[in-house]
Amino acid sequence: MSEEYLLQMSGIHKSFSGVHALDDVNFAVRPGKVMCLAGENGCGKSTLVKIISGVYTRDAGTVTFEGKEITKITPAEATRLGIQVIYQDLSIFPNLTVRENLAINSEITAGVKLVNRKRWDATAKEALSKIGCQIDLDAKMGELSIADKQLVAICRALLFNAKLIIMDEPTTALTKKEVDALFTTVRQLRDSGIAIMFISHKTEEIFEISDDVCIMRNGKNVYSGKTADLTKKDFIYYLTGRELEDDHFIPTNISEEPVLQVKNMEMKGKLHDVSFELRKGEILGITGLLGSGRTELALALFGLAKPSGGEIILNGKSVKIPSPIAAQKLRIGYVPEDRLTEGLCLQQPIADNIALASLKRLSSGLGLLKKSSIAKEAAIWVDKFSIATDDPRKFASTLSGGNQQKIVLSKWLSNDLDVLILNGPTVGVDVGAKQDIHALVHELANEGLAVMIISDDLAEVVVNCSRVIVMKEGSIVGEMTGDAITEDNILEIIR
Amino acid sequence: MKLKEFARNNRYTTMLIGLLVLVLAFFSATKGKLFWQGSLWQGMMFQFPEYGCMTLGLMFAFISGHMDMSFVMLGNFSSIIAVKYMIANVEEGMANSQIGGIILTAIGIALAIAVVGGIINSLLVSRLNIPPVMATIAMQLVWQGFSTALTKGYALPGLPSLYTEIGHKALFGFLPVPLLIFIVLFLVAAFLLKYTVFGEKLYMLGTNKKAAQFSAINVHGMLMTSYILSAVFSCVGTLIMVSTMGSAKADYGISYTMRCILILVLAGVLPDGGMGKIRDVLLAILTIQCIATGVNLFPSMNTYYGSLIWGGLLIIVLIASTKMTDNGPKKLKAPKKTTQKVA
Amino acid sequence: MNKAAIKRMTRRTEFYIFLVLLLLIAVVGVISDGALIRPNSSFTILRAMVVDGMFALCSLVVMISGGFDLSFPAVSALSYSLATTICLNNGWCQTSPLAAFALAVVFGWCLGMFNGWIISNFKLNTMIVTLGTQTFFTGLSMGLLQLKEITSTLPQGLKDFGSSTLLKVTDTLVGGRQVTVPLTSMIIFLIILVIITSFVLNRTMFGRALYAIGGNEVSAERAGYNVKRTKFLLYSVVGAVAGFTGMLRVCMASQSIPKALVNKEMTIIPAVILGGASIFGGEGSVFGTMCAVGIITVVSNSMLLMGIDTYWQDFFNGLVILIGVTVSALQAMRRKN
Repeated sequence: MSEEYLLQMSGIHKSFSGVHALDDVNFAVRPGKVMCLAGENGCGKSTLVKIISGVYTRDAGTVTFEGKEITKITPAEATRLGIQVIYQDLSIFPNLTVRENLAINSEITAGVKLVNRKRWDATAKEALSKIGCQIDLDAKMGELSIADKQLVAICRALLFNAKLIIMDEPTTALTKKEVDALFTTVRQLRDSGIAIMFISHKTEEIFEISDDVCIMRNGKNVYSGKTADLTKKDFIYYLTGRELEDDHFIPTNISEEPVLQVKNMEMKGKLHDVSFELRKGEILGITGLLGSGRTELALALFGLAKPSGGEIILNGKSVKIPSPIAAQKLRIGYVPEDRLTEGLCLQQPIADNIALASLKRLSSGLGLLKKSSIAKEAAIWVDKFSIATDDPRKFASTLSGGNQQKIVLSKWLSNDLDVLILNGPTVGVDVGAKQDIHALVHELANEGLAVMIISDDLAEVVVNCSRVIVMKEGSIVGEMTGDAITEDNILEIIR
Repeated sequence: MKLKEFARNNRYTTMLIGLLVLVLAFFSATKGKLFWQGSLWQGMMFQFPEYGCMTLGLMFAFISGHMDMSFVMLGNFSSIIAVKYMIANVEEGMANSQIGGIILTAIGIALAIAVVGGIINSLLVSRLNIPPVMATIAMQLVWQGFSTALTKGYALPGLPSLYTEIGHKALFGFLPVPLLIFIVLFLVAAFLLKYTVFGEKLYMLGTNKKAAQFSAINVHGMLMTSYILSAVFSCVGTLIMVSTMGSAKADYGISYTMRCILILVLAGVLPDGGMGKIRDVLLAILTIQCIATGVNLFPSMNTYYGSLIWGGLLIIVLIASTKMTDNGPKKLKAPKKTTQKVA
Repeated sequence: MNKAAIKRMTRRTEFYIFLVLLLLIAVVGVISDGALIRPNSSFTILRAMVVDGMFALCSLVVMISGGFDLSFPAVSALSYSLATTICLNNGWCQTSPLAAFALAVVFGWCLGMFNGWIISNFKLNTMIVTLGTQTFFTGLSMGLLQLKEITSTLPQGLKDFGSSTLLKVTDTLVGGRQVTVPLTSMIIFLIILVIITSFVLNRTMFGRALYAIGGNEVSAERAGYNVKRTKFLLYSVVGAVAGFTGMLRVCMASQSIPKALVNKEMTIIPAVILGGASIFGGEGSVFGTMCAVGIITVVSNSMLLMGIDTYWQDFFNGLVILIGVTVSALQAMRRKN
C-alpha cells in the first residue's frame, strides 16, 4: 500500500512574467499519510497549492491522481477528484451560522436554487459527525474560537468525500492546546484513509505530525522523503540553506543598573504578577505560546494596553505609559508583530515610512517639514541596512518582506532609544534579511541599547538572546541565561 | 522625455489638465467670444469659492481616510446662528464700524460652532467607533433638523448690506472677495498638506491608521484636527454663500455635499485615505465650474446638464482609475542619481 | 425555546429595534390620549410607510451584499418621470395604470443594470460609483430629457389607482366629529415586497449569496458563487423595484415631480442602518428594517399628536438615527471584547 501514491507531481514548472515561481518540483502524497510541505515564506508553497487546487495552471509537468494522469485541473475538477484546500483564512462566512457555513458549499455545488432547511440541517449534522465534534449549529461563525472555526472548515471539506485535504499553515493562530486537538483530528482523518498535506514552517510540528516531508526552497524542492529519515539539523539545512547557527550572542556591554524594571504587572485575564529587569546592552528574549501574554506584555510597555496593576520603573523612576506617544518620550520603541497592518504605510514612500516616528527631529520648529533631512535620514538607513531599493521615494509595497521589516526597524532606530522591543522581528523574512537584522540588533545591543525580543521562533531566541524569560498563561514560568538557553530547555517549560 | 516622465508620475494632474483644455476648447469652439467674455469669468470667480472652500475642507477628512457628510449642514447651521446674531444686533443708523464689529463677532460665533461640530464628528468616530459615513450622515440630519426648527424652514433675510457686499464686491475692480478668501484658504491648505509635519502625518494616517498609531502618532488628535478643518473651511464656504444669497436657509447648498465628494474623487482624493494632491483638487474645481458655466451658455440646456456631465465624468474617471494608480515617486525631491528601473 | 436561543435573540439589533418601536407606540399613544392608534392617524402612518418601506428594502438588500447604493432615488425618479411623460404624450393609462408601471419597471431595470455592470466589473467603492450614477441619472432626467412636472394632467388611470382604498373606517375624533378614513390599497404592494424580500433573502440561494458575499466575498467566490453575476442581478432587480416604487409614489401623490426624491437616500439609508443592517455587509433583516421605518414614520407623524412644532421633525429624525447608530456601534464594540 505504501508504495502506491494518491497524488504524484513531477517536473512541475510555473513562472509569472518570466520569474520562476516553481522550478522542476517533484513530490508525492501517500493515501492515509500526513505529508508536510515545508519552506520559508516565498519559496513557492502557496503557488504549488494553487496548482493542485486548480487556481493556477502549470506551465509544465505531470500530475497523477489515483494512478490517472490529470491533464488539466480546474477548481471544480479538483473538488470532484476529492481534493479540498483549507486556506489560512478558512474561507468562512463570519456573519452566517455554523449550520449555513457547513452546508452552503455543497448546496452551491449541487446547483439548487432554494433553501431547504431540513436538508441544510441534515448536511450540517452529517458534517460534524464525520469527526464527532460538538459545535452549536445555531451559533454565529464569527463568534467561535479559531480552533472551532478550523474544525468547521475541516468538516465542510469532508462533505465532499475528500481524499486529500490540504491545510495551509493551520497552526499559526492556535494555542498549544488547540494545536494538540487539531493534531488528534488530523491523525483521526489519516487513520480513516484520507491523505493530509500539511503546510508549515515550524520544525517541532512537522516532526510531530508528519509521515513524509517535502521541503522547498526558492521554488525548488530540495528534499522529499520520509520524515523519520531526517534529522532536525538536516531539516534546518534544507529549509534555510544554511547550517544551524550555533554561535550565541555574547553581550559585551551590560550596564550595572537596569534600565527597565517591571514589578508585579497585572492585566485582567492576560498577565499575572509579571516582574523582570532589563539592562542596557543585553538582549532579553521573551518566549511563550500564543496566548501566553507575551504580546500583551509588549503592548503594555508601549502604551497600547492598560495594565491593571503593578509598576514600571524606567531609569530608576516610576512611570506610567498611557500611549505610544508617552512610550516614545520615554525612549521606548516597538516593532510590532504584524508588519503589514501595524508597521507600514504600504502605499507611501519608503523614506516617509522611515521618517514617520522621528518627524519631530526631522522638522524645524513650528512643525515645518524639512524634506532634505527626511531624504538624508532615509538614505542613511537604506545604506546601513542595505535595503534593496534604488529610490527611497518608491512605495514600501515595492519591497520584499525582509526589506519591509528593515524599514520598520529603521523607523524606530532613527529615534534615540533606551529600550527596543521587537515582536516577532523575522516572521516571514527571508534568510538573508534575517541575518542582517540579527547582526544589527547584536551591534546595537553592544552599543548599549536594551533589546527585548518577543518570539515563538525558538531558534531565533536561542541564537540572539543573552537571557530568556518563558511565559505561560500570563505568568513568567522560567528564566535562563547563557549556555542554559537551548531549544530543549525552553521546550521543557513552555508547555 | 521629462514631460513624459511627469505625465507618468502625475496621472491625475495630466488627466485633469487634459480635461480642462478639452472643456475650454469645446466651449471656445461652440461659443467663441461669448465664452471668453470677462463678465462670464468674473461670474465664475464669484461662484466656485463657495463650494471650493468646502471641497478643500473635505479634502482633509478624505486624506485622513474618513468620510464627512455633515459639513454643508453644519456650515448652514452655524451661519444661521451668525445671521440671527447679526439681525438681532444690527440696528438702523449704526455706524459702519459698529456693524463691522458685529459682523466679525458673528463670523467668530459661526466658526466656533463649526469647531464644536468638527469635534463632535471626531468624537463619534474615534471614541464611539461609529463608522464615519454613518456618524456624519446622522449629524447631517441633526444639524439640518436644528436649522429647520430654528428658521421654521424659511429663509432668513435682512442681513446688513455691509455683509452681503462680501459676496458681490470685487477688490480693485477685478478681484472678487470670495475668490480672495478661497485663495487664502487654498494657500493655507496647501501649506498644511505639503510643508508641515501635520500634513505628512495626515497622509500616513490615512494610508494605515493602525501603523500610524504604532508609530506614536496622536491619531485621535489628528482626526479631530482634520474634522475641525473640514467643518471650519466648509463654514467659510457657507458664510460666503449666505452673503451672496443675501439670506440664510436650512437647505441652501444641499447639493454641495455630493458635488464636493465628486470633485475630490475626480481629483484622485479618494475617501480610502492617504491619496491625492491639492493641485489636482484645484484643477478639478476649475473644470467643474467651467462646465457649469459653459453649459449655461446654451439656451437649450439647463443647469442639470452640468450634473449629467459631472456624473458621466466621475464614472469614466472611476473606471479609468482602476487602471491608473499613482504608484510612482512623489513628494520628495529626486535624489541626484538618475533612477533606473529594477528588473 | 432554550436559553441559548433566547440569549441569541437578545443579542440581535432587531430585537431592540422592535422593543423601541413598541415603546414608542406606547408612549406616543399615551401622550396623545390614544389618538395614535386610532385609524385616523394609524392609516396615515401606514400610508407614509409604503414608499419609504419599499425604498428601504431596496437599500437593505444592497447593504447586505456589502454595497452602498446612493442612486436608487435617482433611478426611481428618472424611471417614473420618463414613464409618466411617455404615457401622457401617448394618451395611455386613462383607465389602467399597467403601461406606466411596466415602463417604469423596464427603465428602472435598465438603469439598475448600468449600476450593476460598473460595480460587478470593476473593483470600486460602491458608494462613490452610485454617487456618480446618481448625478448622471439626475442630469439625464432634468437636463438632457428635460422631464417636466406633471400634476393636474396626470393620466386619470394613475390617479384612480393611487386613490383606491382597501377599506374605509369611520373614526370619531376628539371633538366628536366623525370622519371616514381610508386605508390606501397601495399598502398591499409593501406587504407583497416584504414577503418576497424575506423569501428571497432567507429561502433562496440567491439571498444567501447576498449574505455570503457581504460576509466574505473571497470565500463566496471560493465556495462557488458567481459573485459577478449575483451583483449584476442584484443591482438590476433593485433598479426595477425602485422604478416600480417610484411609480407607486406618483399614483399616491397624484403628481410626477422629477425632483421629488432628491436626497431621499439620506433618510432611507440611515433608517436601514438603524434597523440593524451593517454598512460592512452581511447583516440586516427585513423585520428590523421595517421596524426602523416604522419608528421613523411614527416619530415624524406623531409630532402634531404630541403638540410639538412640526419644524422639529427633521431634528428628531436625526436624533433617533444618531442614537441608533451609536447604540449599534457600542454593541459592536462590546461584542468584540
